[in-house]
This record gives sequence, C-alpha cells and structure tokens, in this order.
Amino acid sequence: MSIETVTPRARPAEVPGSPAPARPSHGRPAIGFLLPFAVLYLAFIIGPAVYGLVMSFFDASLVRSGLGSFAGFGNYAEALQDPDFWSSLWHTVWFTILTTPPLIVLAFVLALLADRVNRGRWFFRLAFFAPFILPSAVVALIWIFMYTPELGLIEAALAKIGITSPAWLGDPNWAMPSLALTTVWWTLGFNFILYLAGLQEIPRELYEASAIDGASPWQQIRRITIPMLGRTTTLVAVLQVIASLKVFDQMYLMTSGGPNFATRSILQYVYDQGFTNFRLGYAAAISMLFFLVVLAVSAVWFSLVRRQEKEV
Amino acid sequence: MALTTMGGAGVTQEKIEQRHRLFNRICFGVLIAFALLWLVPLAWAVDTALKPNAETTRTTWLIDNPTFAAFQRVLDDTAILNWFGASLITATMTAVGTVITASLAAFALSRLRFRYRNLVFWIILAGIMIPGQVLIVPQFREMDALGLLNTYWAVSLPQIPTAIAIFIFKQFFDGLPRDLEEAARIDGAGWFRIYRQVVMPLARPAVAAVAIFTFVTSWNDLLWPLLVLTNPDLMTVPVGLATVQGAFGIRYADTMASAVLGAIPLVAVFLLFQRNIVEGIAGTGLKG
Amino acid sequence: MQVPDTPHTGLSRRGLLRGLAAAAGAGAAAALSGCSTEVLSGLTASRETAGSVEFWNLFGGGDGVRMQQMLETYQRANPQVELSAVTLAWGNPYYTKLSLATIGDKPPDVAVSHLTRMKNLVEADLLQELDPALLARHGLGADRFTPRTWEAGLVDGRVFSIPLDTHPFVMFYNTDVCEKAGLLDDSGALAPLDSPEAFIDAMRRAKEVTGAYGGVVAFISETATPWRIFQSFYSQLGGQVIADQGREVVIDDAKATEVLTFLRGLTADGLFPAAADYQGSIAMFAEGQAGFYFQGEWEISTFQTAKTPFSMTLLPHLFREGPYAVQADSHTFVLPRHPDDSPERVDRALGFVASMLDQSRTWAEGGHVPSWQPFLESAGYREMKPQSNYASAAEAAAYDAEGWYSGSGSNFEIVMGSAVGGVMNGQVAPAAAVRQVRSTLSGLARTPSPI
Repeated sequence: MSIETVTPRARPAEVPGSPAPARPSHGRPAIGFLLPFAVLYLAFIIGPAVYGLVMSFFDASLVRSGLGSFAGFGNYAEALQDPDFWSSLWHTVWFTILTTPPLIVLAFVLALLADRVNRGRWFFRLAFFAPFILPSAVVALIWIFMYTPELGLIEAALAKIGITSPAWLGDPNWAMPSLALTTVWWTLGFNFILYLAGLQEIPRELYEASAIDGASPWQQIRRITIPMLGRTTTLVAVLQVIASLKVFDQMYLMTSGGPNFATRSILQYVYDQGFTNFRLGYAAAISMLFFLVVLAVSAVWFSLVRRQEKEV
Repeated sequence: MALTTMGGAGVTQEKIEQRHRLFNRICFGVLIAFALLWLVPLAWAVDTALKPNAETTRTTWLIDNPTFAAFQRVLDDTAILNWFGASLITATMTAVGTVITASLAAFALSRLRFRYRNLVFWIILAGIMIPGQVLIVPQFREMDALGLLNTYWAVSLPQIPTAIAIFIFKQFFDGLPRDLEEAARIDGAGWFRIYRQVVMPLARPAVAAVAIFTFVTSWNDLLWPLLVLTNPDLMTVPVGLATVQGAFGIRYADTMASAVLGAIPLVAVFLLFQRNIVEGIAGTGLKG
Repeated sequence: MQVPDTPHTGLSRRGLLRGLAAAAGAGAAAALSGCSTEVLSGLTASRETAGSVEFWNLFGGGDGVRMQQMLETYQRANPQVELSAVTLAWGNPYYTKLSLATIGDKPPDVAVSHLTRMKNLVEADLLQELDPALLARHGLGADRFTPRTWEAGLVDGRVFSIPLDTHPFVMFYNTDVCEKAGLLDDSGALAPLDSPEAFIDAMRRAKEVTGAYGGVVAFISETATPWRIFQSFYSQLGGQVIADQGREVVIDDAKATEVLTFLRGLTADGLFPAAADYQGSIAMFAEGQAGFYFQGEWEISTFQTAKTPFSMTLLPHLFREGPYAVQADSHTFVLPRHPDDSPERVDRALGFVASMLDQSRTWAEGGHVPSWQPFLESAGYREMKPQSNYASAAEAAAYDAEGWYSGSGSNFEIVMGSAVGGVMNGQVAPAAAVRQVRSTLSGLARTPSPI
C-alpha cells in the first residue's frame, strides 16, 4: 500500500489566492509551522534528489567514499546503449500492460456487481480488499507455494480439469504473467474500493428514472454508470500505471528477476547495479531516466484531468 | 437525457422489475464466486500452516493431524517477534511523525497568510511527482554518512515528509468552520494553541486516515528497509520474511505459518479500522 | 467528553477508542515478548557483542541440515557463547546483504563466502585481514589446508579467508546402466574416459541401455551448470576467458569453439536431452533415463535419498592438451570488518571457525571435498565412498577468473552460461556464441571497476 496512491486530483484552481492587503501577514508563525516538515523534506527528499542527480554524472561506488571520478554523460550514454537497461524497462512496461487492464476492468465489474447487491457488502469488501493490506513478502510466500510444480494448488486444480500446467515461475514466458496474476489478486481491492465509492456518488434517481422508462440493467450500465465513472477511471488508470511502473517487490521476492532475467524490472536493475555491483553512479543515472518516464506518465495524467475538467 | 426515449412499448413495469431482480441475483452469484476465489489463497495458506510438514506434499484441503507445531517452530527458529517489534516501532514512528509534520504544515497553508504561500504550496505539490524509489541510491549514501544504517531512524525519516499527507490535512482544514477559532483569536489564543486545541480535535477523521495509511504503508514497505536494515535482529516483518525464506527450504507448513504470522497484525488492523481505511481511500481518492 | 460535530463523520469515537486500545495492546505485547534489547538497539545504534557469535551462511537443502548439526555440536561444546546463525537466500542477494551489512556497521562475526566472491569483498575493503600467527594459534595454519585451495584464497599473499571445502563439478553415473553397457572394470569402477571419442562412445552405449539418453546436463533456465561444464573442458585446453582483473577479454576462439561444438554434438546426436532444466535433469538421472549426470557433487544427497544406484567420479580428462582441470569453487569463512575489533571477539570467531573445520567429516558427507588436511588425509575420508573418488579435483580446481563482475553466481557466469546453454539448445552456432560472449564481456571489461 502506498500513500502516493491516494493522491487527490490536484486542483490548481483551489490554491489560495494572494492575501488581501487589508489583513495582517503571519510570516513568523508560518515559518514555525512549516519548519518541521521543511527540514525533513529538504534533508530527505530534495537533498537526496539533487545529490542523486550529481552522482549520476560520476563513477560513484558503494564501497568507496566520495563521488569518484567525473563521468560526464558517460553513465547516461552507457544506460542508453545497455541492453539490460532496455530489457528491464521493457519488462516493467510489459508488467504494466499485463496488470493494468485486468485491474481496471475486473475492479470495475466487481464494484458494479457489489453496488447492485444489498446484502453482505462487508463480506465482499473483506474478500477483495484484505489481500491488499498484506505485506508483499506474505503475498509472495503464499503464491510461490501456489505456483510450486507438482505440489502447488494451481497445478492440482488445473490437472483436475485436464490442463497441464507450465512451470509458472520457472518458464521465462510464463513467469511475468504469473507475477501479474499474483499482483491482480493482491491489489485489486484498492481499485475496487475506488470504484465502489465512485458508484455511490451516482444519484440513485438516475437509475430509478431510467428504470421507469424501461431501461434494462445493461442499458443502465452503458448509458449511466460508465459515463458517470469517467473521472474515476482516469484516476484509477493513472494511479495503476504509476504503481505498476514502480514494481519491485514481486520480482525480487518471487523470481529474483529470473528466470534468466526475464522478469527483472527497472527498479530491480537499479538495485542490482547500485547495491550488488556497487555502481552507485550508474544506478543513479538509471534512476533519473526512470524518473523521466514516471514524469511523462504524470504529465499525461494532468492533461487528461485538465481536459475532463473542461468538459464537465 | 436521452434515456426518456427508451421506454419500450409493451414492456410492463412488472416485467422490468422482474428483469432487474433476476439481474441482481445473477450479480450476487458472480460476486460470491469471485469473492470465494479471492479467499482461496489465504485459506490455503492457513490450511497448509496447520498441517504437519509431511502432509504438505499432498495437495488436499483435508488435514489428518492438524497441529500448531509449524507456528511454534517459526516462533522458535526465527526472530519473527523481533521483526514485529521493529515493524511496530518504525511504522509508529513514521505515522506519528507524518501526522505531526504534515498537519502543522497544512495548518499554515490553510490558515495563515504569508508571502510565497503559493510558491511553498507548489513546491510541496512538486514533491508528489518524485517517487521515493528513485531516491534510494542517494538516500542510502546519506544514511551511511549520518551513521544511521541499521537503525529505525533510517527507515522512518525519509518516509515522514509525504506531500500527500499535507494535501489531505489541508483539504480537511479548509472545510472546517472558522467560528470557533475566530472566537479563540479574540480570546487572545496563539496560533499554536488554535492548532492544538481547536483545529486538531476537529480533524480526527483526517488524523485517522493519514495515521492508518502511513502506518500500513510503512509496515509493508520492502525496498527501502531491505537496504538499510541488514541485521536479522533489526529487520521489519517484510524484510525478515523476504530474507530468510530460503532457510525453510521445502518445509511448506513452516513457510505458510510464517506467512500467516506475518499477516496477522495487519489483518487485525484492517478488521479494526476497516471503515476508516475504506472511507479514507474513497474520500481522499475521489473527493479531492 | 462529547465528540464535536464535524463536517466529516468518518471516525466514530467508539472506533477510535477501540483502535487506540488495540494499538496499545499490541504495543505492550510486543514490548513484553518481542522487544528485546536487540530490537531497541535499532533506535540507538548501540552494539552489544559480548560473548556472542553471529554467523551468516547460504546453505539450504542437505547442506543446511548438516550445517545445523555442526552448529549444534559447537553450541554443546561452547554453551557460554550466544550463537545466532542466519541462513540467507543464495546468490547475488546474499553478497549484497553481506556488503550492505558491513557498510552499515552491523556485519555478522563470521560469514560464509565463495572463494571467487571473497576477493571482491577484499577489494571493497569489507573483510578483516587475518594474521597468520593468530590463525596458527587457533590451529588454523596454512599447512593444515589443501595447498591449492589455500593459495587460491590468498590476495596478494595476504589471508582474508579460511577455506572449508572445494566443490568441484563431477560426473555421476548410474552403476546398473554402466554395468549393462559394459563400462565398468573388474573392480566395478568406471573405466577411464580419456578422449572426446571415448566419452561419446560411452554415452552411446549408456543410451542403448536406458533407451532414452546417455547423459544429462541442465542448461535450460540455468546458467551456472552450462558454465561449469564449459569451463571444465575449456580449462583442460588451457583456455582463459578474461584476464588482468577482468579488464581484458582473452577468450580463445578456436578452443572455445572446439568445446562448444563438442557439447552441441552431444545434444544434437540425442546422446543428451536437447532441453533439460535443473530439476528435470535430476529427475532423469534419478529415474534411470540417463546413465550419466553432470553437476556439482552436492547433489549426492538427492540421489542417496532417491535410492538411485549410482557412483561419482572426476569429470573425465577429455582434452589432453593441458593438465587435468575441472571447474570448482570453495566455501570459505570470512570475518567482515566489524566496528568492534577487540581480540576477544576475533578469538571467539576463529574458535567457531576451528570448530566447523573439526567437523569436516559431517560436512564431507554432503559431497564437498574438505580442505582440512587432518581429515582429508585420514583413513576415515579415504573410506568415504563415493566422496573420496573425486578428492583430487580440489588440486585441479579451475576457479572463475578474477574480475569485479566475476565469481559464483555473478554476471560473468550468467553471460557465459546463457551462451553455452544457447549453443547446447541449438539456438546459436558455436562461433556466433563466442562472438556474442566477446562483445558482452568487452562491455563489462571496459567499465571501470566500481570496487
């Protein structure tokens, strides 16, 4: 669970305007109130961000003090020519492609169903949301066991209906879909809750009116629910894409990025280069490139939100 | 709306209602099926943890000799109790630190007028754009230089300044009525007293949302504590489970028992605070 | 107290109280049961090491079980020492963890390291140098270890590690199959295979008996094993892949192509399966579908448990251009740099290491060739079969070449192993594989060492 994933849509219009000239200014108390946050923010976010940027231009090493020799754009040039960088970036994108559609569509469908049901809503919330609050390590332990060849529950279940299982985590072609399936199970609850909340915002009268007009449930969904949930879907989609791009835990825990690096994500590549190969400068450069990717996705989000707000 | 034209001739009101009832019943069935499917992995983990190791090689839900021995072995052989302690300390430190610093800053942004307020607000807004994960390399160096590696401070401190918490608080403060604090102002109360005695008591829902989220996020974090906590006695639950998982080898009952034990604290948190968590997500995610 | 009216009624007072009570309860419980001084030391960065030995290892499976026995023996003999042993997941994560712990000033007192990974730890200044006089005082002088293993572990003549064993790549053979194929001599031992032709002939005869394959080696989803078999034969030709601390790629096209062509021939002719992963290769040998199996000696326990009729011997000396060589590595004990450098702590650590070496017999049962001469030269070891059949491999060990990206489980092995696997699988021609390897390794060789 990540606190970033509950980002409210930024509404620049709400940023307080300039203070009215007639009222007194509170400069001094304001500094006092902002100081604790500002100190930590500068020390642990802005400072490291600047230091990381600087470091990316040096051959810094984990086991040598200081920045090491100046590398100019050498680390960036190396990363752009490094097939492992591109493959881990692709694995990250591939993971995002595999997880995002089911996490949006399935969460939407299940929330839609749950919204129509009056009984036992707490049970559905529990069932879908409980996995989401588990630590990734717990999820990984359970699913590694589920995927175990010969003894795993999935292989046994499929064998009953006559399907021969591949080596879920052992086959380079199946490992990523297997991780994606685990992730869908794990994080579906978050989107489910977002959609459920969105659904409850839709005025009941709309449904009642349309029912009186003879609309079938399917027509209601198509003509009322889906259009009314447009904003929620934008939010869910962007949060989902960003969360998926930042994937690390599942690979690290379940496949160690294998087999044969087929599931190494970009963050794991940063980890491998920086902390296994000791190449901090290079890892910092890869981090910066990854940051640009996330920024680009965020920029797309902003423009989508802007457009939607204009439409509303 | 175009819907008014949809009333088909010949479809009686009763028929429509019947159709809706049927549809709702199908919804319920599908939903139940999915919910049960979703619970299978958790149930399977608990089931396996209650088996003796020798029985885990048969893929069946039945347990011939149910036992808590696997839990006992995990408690004896791993430092899992230490991990609980470490997780509790780091997550509490992070949650408390976040609530305090973010609510103070949000109060200033919501209630005080000062120059560059917009600028400050935008700088904090920009912080949301930086995913913490891209900073692990410089942050590790920093913690090394500060001599904080293998301490809980290294885990907590970088997690405390979260811009999003400020937004949640600010949004909440903006919605609070101002009569009470204006009365307090007239009585000569300082800003800090207003913050502490007037605004914060009213802001309990926001405090709960931020505290619970931060606690759960911090408890579940893997990458960062994996880097800074390398001593097995100091590890948090996720790091401990991730690091020593290989030690169990093919003793599946033990592995699942460790997973179940690792899950228990947060399941408890979830059951206690289910409504806060759900409303927190819904509220902060959508109404922003 | 009455909860004031709030615009958001998300949290009820009862809910909050319940939550606080639960949190307090959980906190108290943790404080009582879990929060030992160790946990609290995470707040103060204090270190309490008096009278304890913290030991990290990477032994799973059968090795882990035997290591556990050895630790129990040590604990019984030294009840006053507070021993905490931690088994961490194998491979790169282990070395990452060890490095980070040392950088973070909380290293274990003793850790296991592969010999080929130890040198990079030394380069990175993460290990404590061991004074020969001090070692001798603990009975750990150089003269008590296999010379090849000891010397391979020296860094510029200085001691940083104490070898526990050598684990060579060996040949397992199914005794029933080999007997039926007429490959055993009168004493029941495998007749020597001293050329590629003799080897291929033996595989062909074994294949006739099994009806499936002659031999099997894992190379699908697996990079260490194909690297090991390649390195063994390539070293017999006198070949080297990298030199000068990894700064130069010196792979010999002719020799490498010769070995790769030979290996590809085995799978192309159906003598070996054209696709076998680690577990699959074990299953094939255990079930008698292959008469020969090539892997590190540690799989001995697997086949003993499976009751396979088998024996083990040296990987044959097929390419006789050079002296006998076989890929191997060694487990060593190292003492990471520790903020507490008191002689008492170091003495405790070395006492622990000495106790482990004294139990070399237990360790050797798992297949590893002990480096501890007092046991290696004893009748007890000579009678230990099939372990002692391949003891001489330790003296012919071809360790991975030095370089910041080299060593067991390293990027180097992954690059090499993938290429060899690709050839054996028929996806890449031998010459193309050599070109591919040269280009990838050159990239690593050009990168200035981060250590």
